[in-house]
Amino acid sequence: MPDNTPDLLFGTFSTPVAQPPHQAVDLAIVADRAGLDLVTFQDHPYQSAFYDTWTLLSYVAARTERVHLAGNVHNLPLRPPAVLARSAASLDRLSGGRVELGLGAGAFWEGIAAMGGRRLSPGEAVEALEEAIQIIRAIWDTSTRGGVRVEGTYYTVRGAKRGPAPAHDIGIWLGAYKPRMLRLTGRIADGWLPSLGYLSGGPADLAAMNRQIDEGAAQAGRDPAAIRRMLNIGGQFAAERRGFLAGPPRQWAEELADLWFTHRISAFILAVDDPYTIELFAGEVAPATRELAAAGATS
Amino acid sequence: MNYGHPLHFGTFLTPRSDEPEAVVDLAQRSEALGYDLVTFQDHPYQPQLLDTWTLLGWVAGRTDRIRLAANVLNLPLRPPSVLARAAASLDVLSGGRLQLGLGAGAFWPAIAAMGGERRAPGEAVAALEEAIDVIREMLEGTGKTVRYQGDHYRLAGAQGGPLPAHDIPLWVGAMKPRMLRLIGRKADGWVATLSYLQPGQLAEGNRLIDAAAQRAGRDPREIRRILNISGRFAADRAGFLDGPPEVWVEDLLPLVVDEGVGTFILMIDDAGTIERFAREVAPVLRAAAEAAVPGAFAGPAPRRTSARAKRRQGIDYDGLPPSLRETAIEPGDIGYTRVKSTYMRGGAPGLVLQPGNTGEVVEALAFARAQTDVPLAIRSGGHGVSGRSTNDGGIVIDLARLHAIEVLDEANRLVRVEPGARWMDVATALAPYGWALTSGDYGGVGVGGLATAGGIGWLARQHGLTIDHIRAVEMVLADGTVVRARDEEHSDLFWAVRGAGANFGIVTSFEFTVDVVGNLGWAQFVFDASDTAGLLERWGQAIEASPRDVTSEILLGRPRTGQPLLAQAMVTVANDSPETIISRLQPIATIAPLYDQRIVITPYAALMANAPEGYHTGQGEPVAHSGLIAHITPAFAADAARLIRSGATYFFQMRSVGGAVADVPPDATAYANRAANFQVVAFGASRRRLDPLWDELRGQFDGMYLSFETDRSVERLHDAFPPPTLRRLRTLKARYDPDNVFRDNFNIAPLTLVD
Ligand SMILES: Cc1cc2nc3c(=O)[nH]c(=O)nc-3n(C[C@H](O)[C@H](O)[C@H](O)COP(=O)(O)OP(=O)(O)OC[C@H]3O[C@@H](n4cnc5c(N)ncnc54)[C@H](O)[C@@H]3O)c2cc1C
Repeated sequence: MPDNTPDLLFGTFSTPVAQPPHQAVDLAIVADRAGLDLVTFQDHPYQSAFYDTWTLLSYVAARTERVHLAGNVHNLPLRPPAVLARSAASLDRLSGGRVELGLGAGAFWEGIAAMGGRRLSPGEAVEALEEAIQIIRAIWDTSTRGGVRVEGTYYTVRGAKRGPAPAHDIGIWLGAYKPRMLRLTGRIADGWLPSLGYLSGGPADLAAMNRQIDEGAAQAGRDPAAIRRMLNIGGQFAAERRGFLAGPPRQWAEELADLWFTHRISAFILAVDDPYTIELFAGEVAPATRELAAAGATS
Repeated sequence: MNYGHPLHFGTFLTPRSDEPEAVVDLAQRSEALGYDLVTFQDHPYQPQLLDTWTLLGWVAGRTDRIRLAANVLNLPLRPPSVLARAAASLDVLSGGRLQLGLGAGAFWPAIAAMGGERRAPGEAVAALEEAIDVIREMLEGTGKTVRYQGDHYRLAGAQGGPLPAHDIPLWVGAMKPRMLRLIGRKADGWVATLSYLQPGQLAEGNRLIDAAAQRAGRDPREIRRILNISGRFAADRAGFLDGPPEVWVEDLLPLVVDEGVGTFILMIDDAGTIERFAREVAPVLRAAAEAAVPGAFAGPAPRRTSARAKRRQGIDYDGLPPSLRETAIEPGDIGYTRVKSTYMRGGAPGLVLQPGNTGEVVEALAFARAQTDVPLAIRSGGHGVSGRSTNDGGIVIDLARLHAIEVLDEANRLVRVEPGARWMDVATALAPYGWALTSGDYGGVGVGGLATAGGIGWLARQHGLTIDHIRAVEMVLADGTVVRARDEEHSDLFWAVRGAGANFGIVTSFEFTVDVVGNLGWAQFVFDASDTAGLLERWGQAIEASPRDVTSEILLGRPRTGQPLLAQAMVTVANDSPETIISRLQPIATIAPLYDQRIVITPYAALMANAPEGYHTGQGEPVAHSGLIAHITPAFAADAARLIRSGATYFFQMRSVGGAVADVPPDATAYANRAANFQVVAFGASRRRLDPLWDELRGQFDGMYLSFETDRSVERLHDAFPPPTLRRLRTLKARYDPDNVFRDNFNIAPLTLVD
């Protein structure tokens, strides 16, 4: 393959239901065996029908071989950042470098407060997220000497020891929609992970959001290409075209390749709860999308 | 001093972060060596160590049997609400292997450095107590709303759940009196480290815990004593736990016998020592303890006082035979949520017995009969509609553990199936042989309830009822005798079991002759049901005109304003040739305008794999009426359409019978209404609305299939059984169950009681 072949990722976003007990695990194993790149789970610690996502990820990591794993995205207000950083580094070491960290500022404040979490305004939550990322990165950074010191408004860490170092450079991906979060993503994150379903204008919204990320990156003197643009998608396979991502695998591939060309989306994470769809996505959509993207890149 | 817990052994492995494989490997070795438990310390401020919770999740994924615990978790850095959710998750994922070890926290500067709250010792104990309260409530499972106003933790209506797989014991690591008293009040285990204890401190600790437990109205035996130990193997004794294995046994035995230690955890990372302890100390110590105090370690631990408080009146819980005790579930047990209700009904039984073999069924029945005036329910798959397989305050004999399926005679296609199996399991087990046994349309239904009543399934017209395939049953009668009934022995009982089995005993195994069944054609049609009566009538005609390889059901829901009324018809064609399938489906597909259709060629087992895993969460009481009818006449179709259009039924269904079902003479089994071509059922939200409309239909029926009828009045017995059948059933009931023990499903009063 030519060098400029885009590095596209394909993954799953399965519901972490606790009933039936092995559904989420089995789907992850299917994704792993089918050759997908990523398995992700939403994280809503106040949701009683779901597994605790960190626990599920740890278990699933032990049951899979190759696939990378991430929360999509973790609820920061209920997960103290210094502990989360060490947990992520630990799982990364245990799994041979297969963990990425999806983070969200928090939403559903009712649920968070019900669990004993602190209620923040959206603006405060973005600031708290920035502080948390600072702490997480500092804990992972064992090349700097001395303890971690972050005297934030929301989080204070005074002299916590650094480490363990993750086995690989764990990507921090943010579920961002609003300008402030998008600029934060551009400034300090490694990836952007929104859900297509939340974009009121559909894929067309991606352009303006991408621009805000780029601005954030520029402000921080970063290369905008350093931030991977990812997308949670939903869809249906059908014999004939029925709509966007509703049709045969070939149609999906064309639409996803188009998202790459038009919006630089390079990771497609499918909301899926059945093995058959995972296999089609991995077996037919992923290779065809890669081919189209490569052909477009060389032509 | 002894608390009666079976002796357990565990390891305590250092979760070094620089060599994660090493600790995982030792955990797996611990399992292979037969340790009961593997534990890890938790110091989240310490980067030389892996995050313990993450490691527990990972190790759960890499082991199968061994129990897992932190020794002990650092509470100040782990908010209890999230921890509880995580604990429940890990317990479910690991198949019930988690023990939750908690600590109040130490090393406060390090905790504060991580952003944790710095607590004075007294505060830390108070916070731990609050955390235990919160965790216990969260672990009660989905449906529990937790509100908590503590000094350290505040929950504003958190939802409990998920429900753990087992009753996760909460252990607390402690040395000081305040903590020990807390353990006595609230915990399930005391974790101590021998090297930190002064001589006499173990006995003193036990005394404090026991006294606090008693003050709280608890039984000290509820609390397991767990001791972390370390030592060294050497050729000769050089000190305490320093010497050959005999020395270890000699040193540890008094701790078991005199100090009541129930669990020893070896704090050593050396693989050789871990192995030697497992092979040469643990079994010898177990035997020595048993010899020193015979029978003292029989377990299980007594139920928690808080659980005992939920017991119901009239049941002699403590009189349960030992064979049933371990698996029995009481209202205060964590597993109760999983067994209290059925698919269609909410329940609140006082005791659910889960016998694992016929002998235990006999014991369970004897126990249940000895509890006078306590309702009794028999349950297999829990899908009873007529069958009240749960109750309020009574006993349920739940046969879920009796679920074996085995081929007895391959040449004659004879299989043995236990009642707790579900029909989807039966279909899956028979598939590799190219066989199938027609059952019902839903894979979650249990064998026991369906195969004692009828069994109208996807292959009914081709292969008859499920009961028509029974060759023999083993059953436990009301007086506790176990009999085998078949044509050649207990033939009258065998006759009765096939249609009215629930009245005569508990079937513990069925022998069936099954059929060779290839792939099937299966279609799902969605019809426009605007012309409701016409549609029903034409469906009936099309089915009657079809050959026997066609079996079908049609289903209508409640009409919704602004939306067309739809009907869903499912059709099986017992043939795998596409041409035949299409030609069979053609006349059915044309009975009304089609909205949607799906046609597949599929194995029977795939058709039956249509029920989710998990437990029943039924609520309230279903209302359903049932009838059998020869033909869908215009008059009947019109009345049925009126019922459907009224909205009084949310589920109206007709299934085809006839065909092979009608080949069996009416007097051959207790299921006698063989001439009918259709079975009809309507579920409603209330009898008040459903009954008047159903009564319009009633006169047109030719009998009734009891499984879908919830009305318990005596007249319904006459609908279900024609006079000669009912007379014979009553006579037999007087013989086999004169005290009317079995009455939860379409009760036939014994002749003696009626007259
Ligand atoms: C969703 C659904 C679909 C259904 N589909 C069909 C269908 O297609 N065809 C059909 O024929 N029926 C069907 N039924 C009805 C079903 O066959 C009966 O409700 C049957 O009793 C359920 O069996 P079970 O073992 O699951 O029920 P349970 O609730 O466990 O038992 C019901 C009753 O059966 C008796 N019983 C249970 N086990 C034994 C035993 N081992 N020995 C003696 N008596 C016992 C008890 O009296 C008990 O009250 C369906 C029911 C449901 C809820």
